[in-house]
Amino acid sequence: MIETKQIERPKLILIADDIELNRDALEVVLDGQYNLLFAENGKEALEIMRMHREDLSMLILDLNMPVMNGYEVMERLREDELLQHIPVIVLTADKSAELQALQMGAADFITKPFDIPEIIQTRVSRILELSEGKKLISAAEHDRITGLYTRNFFFEYADRLFQYHTEMQMDAVVMNIEQFHSVNAVNGREFGDGVLKRIGEEIRAFLAGTKGIASRIEADRFDIYCLHGQDYRAVLDRFQKAISRFSPNVSIHLRMGVMPWQEGVEPVLMFDRAQTACNMVRGDFQNPLMIYNNEMQAQELLNRRLLNDLSVAIAERQLQVYYQPKYDIQCCPPRLSSAEALIRWKHPQLGMISPGEFIPLFEGNGLISKVDNFVWEEAARQVRVWKERYGFVLPVSVNLSRADVFDPTLVDRVVRLIGENNLDFKDMKLEVTESAYTDKANEVLNTVCSLREMGFEIEMDDFGSGYSSLNMLSDMPIDVLKMDMKFVRNIETSDTDMRLVKLILDIAKYLKVKVVAEGVETEGQLHLLKDVGCDLIQGFYFSRPVPPEEFEKLIEQEIAIERS
Amino acid sequence: MTLQELYQNIGGDYGQVMRILRMEKLVDKHIRKFSQNDVVERLLAAGRADDPNELFEASHAMKGICGNLGLKDLCELSSRIAEEYRPGNPRRLSDEEISQMLALIDAKYQKAKEEILRYEEG
Repeated sequence: MIETKQIERPKLILIADDIELNRDALEVVLDGQYNLLFAENGKEALEIMRMHREDLSMLILDLNMPVMNGYEVMERLREDELLQHIPVIVLTADKSAELQALQMGAADFITKPFDIPEIIQTRVSRILELSEGKKLISAAEHDRITGLYTRNFFFEYADRLFQYHTEMQMDAVVMNIEQFHSVNAVNGREFGDGVLKRIGEEIRAFLAGTKGIASRIEADRFDIYCLHGQDYRAVLDRFQKAISRFSPNVSIHLRMGVMPWQEGVEPVLMFDRAQTACNMVRGDFQNPLMIYNNEMQAQELLNRRLLNDLSVAIAERQLQVYYQPKYDIQCCPPRLSSAEALIRWKHPQLGMISPGEFIPLFEGNGLISKVDNFVWEEAARQVRVWKERYGFVLPVSVNLSRADVFDPTLVDRVVRLIGENNLDFKDMKLEVTESAYTDKANEVLNTVCSLREMGFEIEMDDFGSGYSSLNMLSDMPIDVLKMDMKFVRNIETSDTDMRLVKLILDIAKYLKVKVVAEGVETEGQLHLLKDVGCDLIQGFYFSRPVPPEEFEKLIEQEIAIERS
Repeated sequence: MTLQELYQNIGGDYGQVMRILRMEKLVDKHIRKFSQNDVVERLLAAGRADDPNELFEASHAMKGICGNLGLKDLCELSSRIAEEYRPGNPRRLSDEEISQMLALIDAKYQKAKEEILRYEEG
């Protein structure tokens, strides 16, 4: 490793003194360690400083000089934003001038005569060290693009406000830019940085009118910790207007989440919640502001609990697999053709939890693979039990989530499962939702293709709810389209919906795949679907999802029909 | 006359000036320049004009120069005058005492100039 001492830049020091004797005396003490520049009066010193403002490390300044004295130089420096960071050591023959010099901003002083050179050297090097340290801290403290605090410093200061200034009630605000990565990708990094900078300026202007601190936490995330009770709709509106003026041709949309002050809630948690609120309005250009509320808090607590409880739920078999039949309606009477395995969670304290509540949660963080794996194992075991008990196979379909598709162990796992239960690949069907194909479509296609080539039948779930393009559809490795239940719901009353159903059936015919209609609840729906040539239906009309013992009654009914 | 002898003759501290300027060459350069510097004349003129501000300014400047040149007698005398006329300080010396000190400075300065001239002439 290279030590930081070895990568220091050479230091440049300006010595301003009208007396050549003094300049020479300092030169002999400092020469060799530093690069030196000289000025004979204050005016000249300022000119040299402006020329070397980037690389000048220090000014050593005599107070009594002709043309412009040292006091005036210090006054000018104090007002000059570009030069005020350069530390000044004052030369004086005079004890009483020291206090005044320090009050005016001098970092230190050296008294004449310069008869102990070590004192001069030590003072100069110590002040340089301090100022370098200050520069490093300042660089780490502030974001280069916006000048706002960086993450660590922001949370440090927010914590201090929270702990030591309890009289201030602070709200946490998180602001993001919609699709910022695309803005960057399309318009270039420089443009993106310009947007961030402009937002930084607006935030600073906002904070100038109230008490608070702000940070660019990362990428396009801005956090603001400000006095409770602002009109955030107006604040966001003001930011949005400013950014639209800045970027009239490329539309930039901001969204904001706010966690209002709540006694005793520490900043990190406040900002987590503000971020949750901010994420909830992602993509909602009409209403880009969300204030965190009790409902969200309850949801968050529930989510956290479910995440914590999942492993125990699997181990203690609180998770159960239910089965919903699919019937072939082109036969008369309709015949049980297969089943879909669906997860249920019977929580010891919370009771039955709807999959609608925990599936999206686990999908969001990858835990869905654990759930899916549990369902696959259970379903495979169940197919085997029925095969042994009834002497034939009732294929069961299971869900394959996006997270599963990207799991490199997927193929091995399902192959092992089929082998262990003495099944054929065609005994299990895999349901992949349409939306799983939206991003990184090629990777998903490849995996699904190889599973299909092994012999699994692939069903596309929720067809029509996502955004498949027709040309993509013809490349997709599918055997069955499962029509989203919202198409079926109104076919008895809506001609449009009925026409859409026919359209989907036409597409399926073109693709040479079967169609399962989901959510069928009435006899009327059944007849309409049968008339237009739908193959299979699933829904409460035949049965809701039921536990295996109950499902066996459906199998036994089927056997009875077969025999009769 | 050597530089060291010159310092002896004018009541200077050769050790101190060498600590400050380190090189004989530099001491030589600045002691020669000292006889052309008008700071002592300024002080004497201020005394004649009885101008307290200028008395302070000039004595203060002279103190700095003499200090760095190791001219300890002149440094000490100018320092006392500077303290006497420093704005805000109460006067402690009588006008007569000041006159005597200025006369002493004048005498020592003249002597120093003569010696420096002799030194320059070799």
